[in-house]
Amino acid sequence: MAEKIVSKYFYNKEAAALSFYQKDGGYSAAKKALGMAVDDVIAEVKKSNLRGRGGAGFPTGMKWSFIPKDSKAPKYLVCNCDESEPGTFKDRAIITYSPHMLIEGMLIGAHAIGAHVGYIYIRGEYVREAEFLEHAIDEAYKAGILGKNAMGSGFKFDLYVHRGAGAYICGEETGLLNSLEGKRGEPRVKPPFPAIKGAFGGPTIVNNVETLAAIPWIINNGGEAYAKMGKFPNSGGTRLYCVSGHVNKPGLYEFPCGAVTLRELIYEHCGGIRDNRKLKAVIPGGSSAPVLAAHEIDIPLDVEPMAKAGTMLGSCGVIVIDDSWCAVKIIKRVTHFYAHESCGQCTPCREGTRWMEDVLHRIEDGHGKMSDLDLLLNVADNINGKTLCALGDAAAGPVLSFVKKFRHEFEAHIKGGKCLNA
Amino acid sequence: MPKCIIDSKEYEFKAGETVIQIADRNGVDIPRFCYHPALTVVAQCRMCAVEVDKMGKLQTACSLPATDGMVVHTKSEKVKQAQASVMEFLLINHPLDCPVCDEAGECQLQDYSFSYGAPDSRYDEMRRTYMDLDMGSVIKKNMNRCIHCTRCIRFCDEVGGYREMVALKRGNSTEIVTVDGAPLQTQYAGNLADICPTGSLTLKDFRFKKRAWFLKKTPSVCEGCSQGCNIEVHQENNVVYRTHPRENMDINKWWICDEGRFLFHYVHSEERVLNPSVRDGTSALEKMDWYDAVEKVSPKIKGKALVLVGSDLTQEEIQAIQQFAASKLQTTAVYHYGTENILKAADDTEEDKILRRTSKTSNLHGAEKLGLKPWKSADHNSGEFDCALVFRGGRAMVLNQLRKCVKGAIVGVGVFNSGAVDSYDAVLPGLSFVEKSGTIVNWQGKEQRLNQSIAPLGESKSITDILQLLR
Repeated sequence: MAEKIVSKYFYNKEAAALSFYQKDGGYSAAKKALGMAVDDVIAEVKKSNLRGRGGAGFPTGMKWSFIPKDSKAPKYLVCNCDESEPGTFKDRAIITYSPHMLIEGMLIGAHAIGAHVGYIYIRGEYVREAEFLEHAIDEAYKAGILGKNAMGSGFKFDLYVHRGAGAYICGEETGLLNSLEGKRGEPRVKPPFPAIKGAFGGPTIVNNVETLAAIPWIINNGGEAYAKMGKFPNSGGTRLYCVSGHVNKPGLYEFPCGAVTLRELIYEHCGGIRDNRKLKAVIPGGSSAPVLAAHEIDIPLDVEPMAKAGTMLGSCGVIVIDDSWCAVKIIKRVTHFYAHESCGQCTPCREGTRWMEDVLHRIEDGHGKMSDLDLLLNVADNINGKTLCALGDAAAGPVLSFVKKFRHEFEAHIKGGKCLNA
Repeated sequence: MPKCIIDSKEYEFKAGETVIQIADRNGVDIPRFCYHPALTVVAQCRMCAVEVDKMGKLQTACSLPATDGMVVHTKSEKVKQAQASVMEFLLINHPLDCPVCDEAGECQLQDYSFSYGAPDSRYDEMRRTYMDLDMGSVIKKNMNRCIHCTRCIRFCDEVGGYREMVALKRGNSTEIVTVDGAPLQTQYAGNLADICPTGSLTLKDFRFKKRAWFLKKTPSVCEGCSQGCNIEVHQENNVVYRTHPRENMDINKWWICDEGRFLFHYVHSEERVLNPSVRDGTSALEKMDWYDAVEKVSPKIKGKALVLVGSDLTQEEIQAIQQFAASKLQTTAVYHYGTENILKAADDTEEDKILRRTSKTSNLHGAEKLGLKPWKSADHNSGEFDCALVFRGGRAMVLNQLRKCVKGAIVGVGVFNSGAVDSYDAVLPGLSFVEKSGTIVNWQGKEQRLNQSIAPLGESKSITDILQLLR
């Protein structure tokens, strides 16, 4: 297996301590970066082809370079640790086992964009994880790593943990910023993008935990080395795949971007499907990614190949479903989630997600009509790409793909009033 | 100047303008619910979606800054389809109670449903319903009709002065409420009914009084204070049912205050004196026709006359009174009055940061321009005048303490309520602001025209006609 970057210390209970991390060379990257020119740091990250690990896969170096240099408003670096996408649990492990890797990454990022204040927005359900983070930040303050004179460089950087109240939509970066400011967690109209006008009106960069945790390695080993790890030209480095569902060995797996196909991941690394059952479907990038049927999984796990296959890599939350489960039941549950989590701002998402949920509920209960399937597809289509933020797409994509790929199961529910798997 | 193309026509624009602003200025119709030029752009309703060349997804015209050479389509198939879908989404939970909804006929949702929606619905599920709390004396809320455009929330935040409306819960259950269910405090609550695109917020004062399509509309000016907000008077069969703000970016933008909105009720008040009335000795005021009244009043106007002019009268009326005083009465004792303690234009200040001003009469600044001096009763000796003519338009305070300095008859000319004229010897009914035309001058010095929207009520006559009779 290739070199591990972010999962290097996983499951090592001592690794969270500052002393352990420093003994293993921790904070050397921050030391180095704080001595580098800002543009050089950004150039190094650009060279690394590091892409956002939160779901959208936007190149991180480019994002950083959007921050206006002459801004009078204070700049902010925000770490998105809302990790609200169902099927995703990588950030939690990073915080638990390598909180200092994140803090170091944030320090470097803050230096690169000129932010003196950083926030880690952590989801409300991560109570213990927030405590771990607070503890690590305290350690870093005591060691002089954070604060008025970070690591003796003269750079001021304060880091705060902000706990969310448990809303999926606060994982969307502008919804997160609203929540951080104490407002309703509702996404904002873009443009202006956060890099121009974000938290408290200042230029803001919002990065995922895994993205920031990869920064120290990039500074230490150079952007080119990181870029070389990726199999495809636009994605460098490694990614954490969160495999859950009906596999024998669910868990977190770190591989270089694109090096492994979905089939290899499931059958070689995760030990195949549980109880020797047959694979039915895979949701490859968190529950908002369109589903893949069993025969569609020979795709390298990277952003572009996934997009080409009509789905997305998203947050790499790979949910494996075996043939004992009913497609209608799954999509009903997923749609219920999105209807419940819709913020209610924009029309298609507010009205459409609930409508889809109601129709799916009827179908599952055996009260569906054949025309409901086309209605579902049409409603999902009317939401897809027409909403204020990506939640609409996240709700519509799964419905579209489930109905298209497992139409016979829906029809069985409608015709027979019962489930094929019952 | 940069140019963009909307529906194959080229339009110039200023940098920073959004597509909907350019479209609005040039008469290109883009439907919208949440967008209002006065309020923050939130791009929530998605109704103003347009197709833009070289952009994959549809864009909301309200939030899309135009760029040079941008090509926008507002009527393409893709746009029409998106508009129809938004209409369908908005209507699935909207009760189809148009026949009993007071907004019908002037409802944006209804109009757009006709223009952009489908004739039938595919919705088979349960509709969403809410319970409503009272929102105070001005606004009646019906949350079931709400389409969550949040114009009301933004209005209260950004215009009305109080952050008192909020969205509660989320997603499909989102409810728009006042904070803690308390009644609205803003003095501008009536505007919420104007900007609400549905029948969700309606005026308690107006609802169920008249169907919107019967109303005839006359542009005019509010006489509530010296701001001179532009309004439209809505009447049918010579009855005024409501007044509505009219856009004027220099004065009131899109708004009027509640005081101004509802003041027209005095026009139809049962108390209003609509017949010439004269008192004989100590008896009560007695209604009579104009011939008898003039016969009785004329001889009483003699000697040293005091002329008091309400600063709620128009420039034309004030000039006629000045002429009358100079030629017929030969007096120079012509004073203006209006609001207590606001004696001259310099005393007139803003009452809040929005529209309302402290002078509660509309033409204080005009009266001063015509050379009238303010009336201060303290400056005058008891029994100084032999008679007094008190002119009033309907808004000026009623002067009741004149007996001290007036020995003889006190004659009220204009709009008076029967209860308020006990100390007067005669009342000659004049016209209120909706029954006459004329010019008033607001605090900025802007001259604006009142337009007559209904015929004079009862026996009331214009001040020029009354003066003619008294000559």
